[in-house]
Formats: sequence, C-alpha cells, structure tokens
Amino acid sequence: MAGIRVDGIDKTFGEVRALETVSLTVRDQEFVVLLGPSGCGKTTLLRIIAGLEHANSGSVYIGERDVTHLPPRARRISMVFQNYAVFPHLTVFENIAFGLRMKKEPKEVVREKVERAAALMHIETLLQRYPAQLSGGQRQRVAVARALAVEPEVLLMDEPLSNLDALLRLEMRAELKRLLQSTKTTTLYVTHDQVEAMSMADRIAVMRDGRIVQYDVPIKIYQEPTDTFVGGFIGSPPMNFLRLKLERQRDHTVAQVGNLALPGPTKREGEVILGLRPEDLEVSPQESTNSFAAEVLVVEPLGPHLLLTLSLNGQTLKVTAAPDLPTRPGDSLWLRPIPARIRWMDPESGQAIR
Amino acid sequence: MRARWFYLGLAFVFSAWVLLPIYFLAALAFTERQEVFAWPKSFWPETLSLETISFFFGVDGVWRAVRNSVVVALLTVVLALLLGAPAGYALARYRFVGKDAYRILILLTRAFPIMILAVPLAVRFIDFGLYDTPLAVAIVHTALALPFAVLITSSLFMGIPKELEEAAWTLGCTNLQAFTKVVLPLALPGMAATAIFAFVTSWNEVFAATILTLRERTLTAFLLSVLHESPLPFRFAGGFFLIVPALVFIFMIRRYLFTLWGIASR
Repeated sequence: MAGIRVDGIDKTFGEVRALETVSLTVRDQEFVVLLGPSGCGKTTLLRIIAGLEHANSGSVYIGERDVTHLPPRARRISMVFQNYAVFPHLTVFENIAFGLRMKKEPKEVVREKVERAAALMHIETLLQRYPAQLSGGQRQRVAVARALAVEPEVLLMDEPLSNLDALLRLEMRAELKRLLQSTKTTTLYVTHDQVEAMSMADRIAVMRDGRIVQYDVPIKIYQEPTDTFVGGFIGSPPMNFLRLKLERQRDHTVAQVGNLALPGPTKREGEVILGLRPEDLEVSPQESTNSFAAEVLVVEPLGPHLLLTLSLNGQTLKVTAAPDLPTRPGDSLWLRPIPARIRWMDPESGQAIR
Repeated sequence: MRARWFYLGLAFVFSAWVLLPIYFLAALAFTERQEVFAWPKSFWPETLSLETISFFFGVDGVWRAVRNSVVVALLTVVLALLLGAPAGYALARYRFVGKDAYRILILLTRAFPIMILAVPLAVRFIDFGLYDTPLAVAIVHTALALPFAVLITSSLFMGIPKELEEAAWTLGCTNLQAFTKVVLPLALPGMAATAIFAFVTSWNEVFAATILTLRERTLTAFLLSVLHESPLPFRFAGGFFLIVPALVFIFMIRRYLFTLWGIASR
C-alpha cells in the first residue's frame, strides 16, 4: 500500500499542452477520482502515473519511491482499461494469473490468489472460459480481478465503466466501491461522469484544460465550487448562475435579485454572479419573506421532484420543487435562496469570491 | 432471373478457364505414356497409373531440385518473417518521420524489375562466394516476399489493440515479453498466412533462381532448363508437381486471406 504524489507534471503532444504543471497527492488507501470533460488531460495524467506516457518535466512518486523514470512493470501498479484489455487468447483463469506468473509466483500461490480475486468479482464459475464467451460486464470483472490479483500498491482505472450499459454501470459502481473499501487499495480513477465521481470518491480532482481546478471531498466540490466551471460541470441540472448588479450601501453591498435585495460580497463593485444549486431555493406559490418572484416557463415532473425552468428578468434558472406543487407554465412562484448555500463569483474570471 | 443465369454462366466460364488446364495436367500426370501421346485426348483418362510420376522422379536431378526448392522456400519464409514482422510492427505502432514514404517505398521495390537486378546481383554473389547456393536465391526471394510480409503483418498488428500490450506492461512484462506473450499469439494465424505467402512466392519464382544457380537449381529453374528437351509425360508431371504446393497452400490460407480482405469467413 502506498500513496501517489505527482509533482509539477508538464506534458505536450506536439503543439498541444495536455498538462500544465499538475501536482496531486493521493493518500494511502484513498480513492481519488480525476473528473473532467474529454480532452482535459485526466487520462494523460493517469497514463503518466502508470508509466505508459512520459512527462516533459515533473516527477511521479509512489509511496516513497521516485518512479518517474521506471517502466510500468517496475512501478507496482496495475491498471484497468476503458476497453477492458482482457487477453483474448487466454482463459479467464490465465488472464487473472498473468501478472502473478510474470512475478514467477509458485503454482499453489497463483491458484489461490486467482481464486480469491475471482471470488471478489463473483466470476468463479467463468474461470475456464475464453473472453469471447463473456459479456461486457463479465469482461470488466475479469479486468478488475486481473488488476487486483497482483496486489498492487496503486490501482489505476481509466473510465472502467463507460463501456457498460446504464443499469450495469449502476450495479458495478456500488460493487467497485464496496470492493475497494474492503481491499483498501489506493485508487486513482478517471471518469467524465460526475455522478460516478460523486458517488465513489473520497476526494475528487476536477480537471480542465490540463489543470486541476479543484481538489476536495465530493460534498465540498458540490456545495462550494471554486469557479463557474466546476459549478456548471457538477450537478444535474448544473448550478444556476445569475448575473447581478451590485449597489454599494455604506459598508456593505446589495445585489438586486428581482424584487429581493440580497446582501452581496463586501469589497466588490459592478457586477457579480450569484451561484445557486437548483435545490437551494425554497419554492412557494404565495408571496413570502426574503423571496423573489419568477415566472414558470417549463414544468418537468421527474417523480421524486418537479424540475422547474423559470425566468427572472430574461435570465433562466432551474429549480427543483416538491412533486405535489400545483403550478403551470405562466404562473409566478416565490423563491427563497437558502442563505448558507449562496455562492458569489467573479463575472470575468468565474472564480468564487470568498 | 435472367441476370442470375448470366452471372452463373460467366462464373462457369471463368472457373473452366482456370480449372480445365489444371484438370488435364493432373489427369495426364497420372496416366500411362501411350495415353499422354494419344490424340484426340479423352476427357476421362482411361487408365490410372503412377508411371508418369515415377518416371519424373526417376530423372536425374529432380530430387535435388525439389530439395533445393524446399530449402530456398523455407529460408525465404524465415527471412521474410524475421525482417518483415518487426518492420510491420513499427509501421503499425510507431509514428516516425517519413512513415508514409516508407510504406510506399516498400511497395515500389516490387516495381523494380528483377531482370535488371539479376545480373549485377549474380556478379556480386560470385564475389561473395554465394553464387549457386540456396541462400543466394533465398535472399533474392526474400526481397520479393518482403513487401507483402511487411504490409500484411503491419495490418495484423494494427488489428491488435495497443491496450493489450499496455496491460501486459503494467502486469510485469518487458516490451519483448509483451510482444511474445500477447501480440505474437494473437497474430499467429495471420503470421502463418504471411509465411505461406512467402513460401509460394519463392516456390514459383523462376527468373532469379535460373540466373543465380548453375548446379543447385530449384525445381522451377531445373524444369525451365530441361523442359523443352523433355518428353511430354515429363512435362505434365513436372507441371503438376509445380502447382500442387501452391494450390494446397492457397486452400490453407484462404480463410486468413478472406479475413485480411474483410470478407467474413464461415
């Protein structure tokens, strides 16, 4: 078991800068998710840690060892690939045993470890089959079992669930989480699926354009996004952003949200962005205190709640409401922002104002 | 309906065009002498005998030529694979300057007429003491078989996902181990096809073999030099024996050639 530390990694592909001085620390036994849109450099970072790509500069440590210049085989990692990469010419047993055989483990040990890994992934009955006889979900299980069988110091996973269908993905997500909690393997997991990241991670590193923009526990990432990008990328529907004018009143500022005067960030002038999650507004059909009025444009009953699209002075916002709220497009509703959940952001840089 | 008959007829004509000479060759190689000389020939041979074939193999030098042909063809296979597979792998896996030019250059070697090459090569081989050896012929045949070996193996390797190799690396393999334990087993059927292709190329080649040998003739070169002064049965037997390996091999690699060309095999 060991942690991972990457330090000032730069990587360019020709003219394209894939990673810009990226640093990241993963603690021992921690489950960290690299999350970002495609092309943000998350897979490149993972592959650099695996030793499959070489950084232009910077170093990679696994535990206390500097592995920057070591080949993948000497890094004591294992990796699960997006397309499974299960060896088609070997049986499931031989696939799982592959890494152990490379380590020249005695026969008995190989058998024992393969069977243990197979039992963890519930594929004991498939050991004599060939990958061509397996479904996608089963192949993914083989790939994970193969990676775990060698008892790596660090497990790297590159979008392991993205090739599975939605239902299977949900099932595997919970199973992987349970499994990695019980094996206590340090894991770095790449995905572009924010739900996957939120549900599985101990900490999430959100990446954009070759940089890590925020690295924190999931709930902090969700509630306190560092900028409009993170707020907009995480959450479904994403965070609402309202552009507002600030008015200075002696020692404090006031932002006018419709008919509501909201105390704004001090030491600010001009415009700000108000960030609010769809569930961070209390919806009421009648006029109430500390509320502003907005017109309903669309009502989407989703089962557990209603998803409302509302218009406020030409800006739209999405709000969730109780499923029994009687409302129709054209109605006016009163929205009360929960004070503790209000986030202010700079309209130019998008950065959160603290 | 009409079109269907038309195509069937066309297919029949083309098949007959190719198959009839082969049939007669085979039929006459397995009959008695008188029947070979008989005219008009009957479509069905009246007698079946090994007389012609045994006469053919009784001729002085035939066995030696057969042995030379086999040695040369096997050498060609080994050389073409040893040189061609790494080149194919490089073309499939790496990006390097001049890759496209290299790919075209490989094909262009086939455009270079071997007639022009053969005489200077013969002189060179005499200098090196290689002249009139199976190795000399095998080297030239390798040059002929290599372009196909490179291009076929490169498409083979391209069909094997890079992630499989990467997975092998992360599981403790060196590059060479990943190649031998993962890539090679997956490429093996296609490699076999490449090998057979090289074998047939070498087996059928006559020009370079004739120029570069004097006593150590390959079967084709030997037959070419003696055919015009041989009796008819000998010619039929020789012709038959020349096409048999090619036919057998084509049937063996048919499946792989089909997959190579993207036709689903059943």
